[in-house]
Amino acid sequence: MMLEWIRFAISAVLLILGLCSFAAAVLGAYRFGFVMNRLHAAGIGDTAGIFLVVASLVVAEGLTADALKLIVLVFFLWFTSPVSTHFLGQVEYYTNPLLRKYVKKGGLPGFLRRTGSADEGKAAVPAQPKGEKDAAD
Amino acid sequence: MTVEQAYQTLFGGALIILLVLIGAMCIRSIIGPRSTDRIMSVNMLGTMTICSIAILSLILDEGYLADVALIYAMISFVAVLMMASMFVPSKPKEPELDRVSDEGDAGGAEEKTRKAEGGGRK
Repeated sequence: MMLEWIRFAISAVLLILGLCSFAAAVLGAYRFGFVMNRLHAAGIGDTAGIFLVVASLVVAEGLTADALKLIVLVFFLWFTSPVSTHFLGQVEYYTNPLLRKYVKKGGLPGFLRRTGSADEGKAAVPAQPKGEKDAAD
Repeated sequence: MTVEQAYQTLFGGALIILLVLIGAMCIRSIIGPRSTDRIMSVNMLGTMTICSIAILSLILDEGYLADVALIYAMISFVAVLMMASMFVPSKPKEPELDRVSDEGDAGGAEEKTRKAEGGGRK
């Protein structure tokens, strides 16, 4: 009887952590101001959230055939979520006309750089040699 | 309170929380300014739906709902890829990014981003 309650406690903790991951993903989707940042937040729910919730279900159910299916589901999501995230980032890179406001060639995006004096910001960006543009094209 | 009742309460509460989060992502997919925002919201919505189906398979004690969740994951993945591939041009070209080494133009753009951050320091 006591063992059952310990199992329930482990399952509850895992489930609550998983729901917190989903809540963090939704909060990030609302708080971040740019699609690439939102994709980063969505990755939390796709990997950590589904893993923790399914781990809770497996602890509650025990190792049965249905639990095995849920584990397969988690591994499937772990493989497909980076693919779709990468593809969405690619779509954003090719179609957003305002991207030059956010991202600079060879440097971090302006909103990712730490705030400081202007000289610090310029020093953080690596200097590029002149002939690199021809090489890149 | 037996263990079974405790499990029912726990998973029922989890389903209610997931319902609230799914509603929030629906609103996000409506107000998303760009199409990629909407596709991302649909992706997250699908993940949460898979999660609720997996919880339901345990509450209702129906094994086939795990199969349904697996199929739903595959369909959601293909749907996101199809929706995203509609927006990729057939011959994509690189976007024009600012050159960092060009002092004048890059400085102006940097000034704008700094103003947007709210710092405004020079």
